Amino acid sequence: MKRKQGWLFFIIFLLTLSVYLLINYPLQLGLDLQGGSQLTLQIIKEEGKVTRDELEAVNSVIDKRVNNLGVSESNLQTLGGDQLILELPGEQSPLVASRVLGKTALLEFRTQKEGTFTDLKSLQLQRLSIKDLIDQYSFAEKNQNEDTFIKVIKDDLKDIEQQLNYSSTSNDLYGKLIEIKKYVDKEITNLFIKTDLSGKDLINAGRRQEQTNNNWEVLLTFSNSGGEKFAEITKSIAGTNQLLAIILDGESISEASVGNQFANTGITGGSATISGNFSAENARELEVQLKGGSLPLPIEIVETNTIGALLGSKNIYKSLYAAISGLIFVGIFMIFNYRILGFVSVISLVLYGFFNLAIYSLIPVTLTLPGISGLILSIGMAVDANILIFERIKEELYDGNTLTRSIDSGFQRANSSIVDGHITTLLSCFVLFLLGTNFVKGFAATLSIGVLISLFTSLNCSKTILRFFTTYQSLRQKNLYLPRNIFSN
Amino acid sequence: MKYNLELIKNKKKIIGFSTVLILFSILGILYSTFNTSYKKPINLGMDFVGGNELRIERVCEAECSNLSPDSVLENLREISKNKKFLNNIKLQFQNNNKLISIRTPYLSIEESNNLISNLDNIVGPLNYESKDSRLIGPKLGKRLLTNCVTSLLVSLFAISLYLTIRFDKKYALFALLALFHDLLIIFGIFSWLGIILSVEVNSLFAVSLLTIAGYSVNDTVVIFDRIRENLKSKKDGYNETIQLSVNESFRRTTFTSITTLIPLLSIILFGSYSLFWFSLSLSLGIIVGSYSSILLAPSLLLKE
Repeated sequence: MKRKQGWLFFIIFLLTLSVYLLINYPLQLGLDLQGGSQLTLQIIKEEGKVTRDELEAVNSVIDKRVNNLGVSESNLQTLGGDQLILELPGEQSPLVASRVLGKTALLEFRTQKEGTFTDLKSLQLQRLSIKDLIDQYSFAEKNQNEDTFIKVIKDDLKDIEQQLNYSSTSNDLYGKLIEIKKYVDKEITNLFIKTDLSGKDLINAGRRQEQTNNNWEVLLTFSNSGGEKFAEITKSIAGTNQLLAIILDGESISEASVGNQFANTGITGGSATISGNFSAENARELEVQLKGGSLPLPIEIVETNTIGALLGSKNIYKSLYAAISGLIFVGIFMIFNYRILGFVSVISLVLYGFFNLAIYSLIPVTLTLPGISGLILSIGMAVDANILIFERIKEELYDGNTLTRSIDSGFQRANSSIVDGHITTLLSCFVLFLLGTNFVKGFAATLSIGVLISLFTSLNCSKTILRFFTTYQSLRQKNLYLPRNIFSN
Repeated sequence: MKYNLELIKNKKKIIGFSTVLILFSILGILYSTFNTSYKKPINLGMDFVGGNELRIERVCEAECSNLSPDSVLENLREISKNKKFLNNIKLQFQNNNKLISIRTPYLSIEESNNLISNLDNIVGPLNYESKDSRLIGPKLGKRLLTNCVTSLLVSLFAISLYLTIRFDKKYALFALLALFHDLLIIFGIFSWLGIILSVEVNSLFAVSLLTIAGYSVNDTVVIFDRIRENLKSKKDGYNETIQLSVNESFRRTTFTSITTLIPLLSIILFGSYSLFWFSLSLSLGIIVGSYSSILLAPSLLLKE
């Protein structure tokens, strides 16, 4: 008897512990319950698999960029060897993050090939006019008076295409404009020769507003060796009509000449500025990208989920309703069919709920919508074990055995089939966990935790509570355990 | 207390009924593969083909004004810069014109934001706190599909392995047959739902199939266990013992199904819309699974 009471105290202790845990370590809610954005970044590699080192390297660059962006409480994790998941809770727009993170931000310094002076001049002019056309197009779109405007733009585009001797293949006008711009950018970049100075030689980046106008410029600070390289390069073209280009991801963002006064030493001091008509926003984005360094492999944003905060809290209420009403109706069903035994299973179900939540806060498991449905589904499965046991107990009672004996052998005989029956569910969960996406893993996690805990609650807790009940003489009448049966004839 | 399911008498009817269900499913799958716009055995949703799904509520004072989706699309076409995706756009109003739901091919975040702000101009003001937006690239979709199919195959293999270790060959084979029967029927039902109501399946559908697989096998295992136990101890004939065992486990199996269906029903009634089809397919799976565990699988064990 002493040992049995020991179990009762142990269960009460566990319950107290669970409540304590839940109060002190609140549950972590997923974005679908608290609102926020989630971005999945896919690392692109043409050949072969992404190695661990490459994943780490990409992860650290993205991490630096996210930190420099100053988003609060963001969470970055790797997924499946070649993906990263970034979570931005609350009403933080994923747009800025996507612009900053998606770019490789490969910074190069190139010097102009000799004798390309006129080629560059005409390309620069064309770049200017194509940018102008894109602006005009946006303006025409907004102001509805499209037709005449659009015709002018189309004609101008044709002129440029003729001069470039290149015809665009896109279907719509906007696509054509963008395509031509990319082509011109590429042609300009091709007029410059690579140097050994790159984004790797930076130790810092910053931004400031230009004094003469509202534009912003980005400041670069080189490392010692970077500074020397920069001086060397600028020295080599000082006073000539060759320009120095600063190229970001294949697009030249600035072309500048180096004055004759630097012909002896080059530009020293280890810093440079890029002033390419940046808006405040653009300058900040570039600053963040340069500070984080360039990505060793390009990435692509393959999935974005955004859930508003209001919808998130609605989802919480809906899930709560579903869980509680599910629990209540299962309880009614059990008490109706099994009376005292049903009442015992309701108590162990409540314990089951508390233990589950406590485990979630302990591990911790982030609670998502699929996760909650896994929990709710496992309520039904937790009762399954009780039903198996109670049916056995009833059989024993019908066979004329005493209450204590029936209870003991009921638990004993149902034991193996319960443990057994849970194995297939655990198998499915295990597969889900290995191969599933984040979304699916939430479901697998709560369902498998539920199945495991239900082994404890429905075997141990039910038995202990039932034994405790039967110590009261008034609860030992057999008819409390053998109710009228709705299915019987 | 005693149940009397006449398994032996009704063997032909049970097998006939299951055959009809299976034919019905295969018909749905074939029709869906050859006679629909998507030409797939089942209507694959955004998770698998990529795209953009947006749900957002309008802010209305009393009632939201009635707008026709066509006129909204017309307006959208006029003010949108990138017109490509507008050819393939689906727009619906729900909840008394309050909720707008839109489906388009894949958009970048920037394009999606433009779409929302254009929408705000036409049907606004919009409540951004109620936004639910999902963008999935086509590449990721393909990958998700392969992942789901592999998960299913791997888990079916694991379950078969478990069954062959646990039972002898005959039992394992029939338990597996019952399992495939369940999965095929649920798949078929969703093929038909796709044809008739354009219901799409997403990764949660694959999850539900996996869960059904585990659940249905679990039910069959309990009944087969009982049969094995009784065959050892009882002296009745083989067929009679099987029938008796089924009747003995009938209550347990139906009760378990009911207690699992109750919480699922509360998700269907009270839960978030994103879990609706998931819970429905699980519920159907549990019903079909209990049927096949109680009636079909033991019937297959019966001797002529």
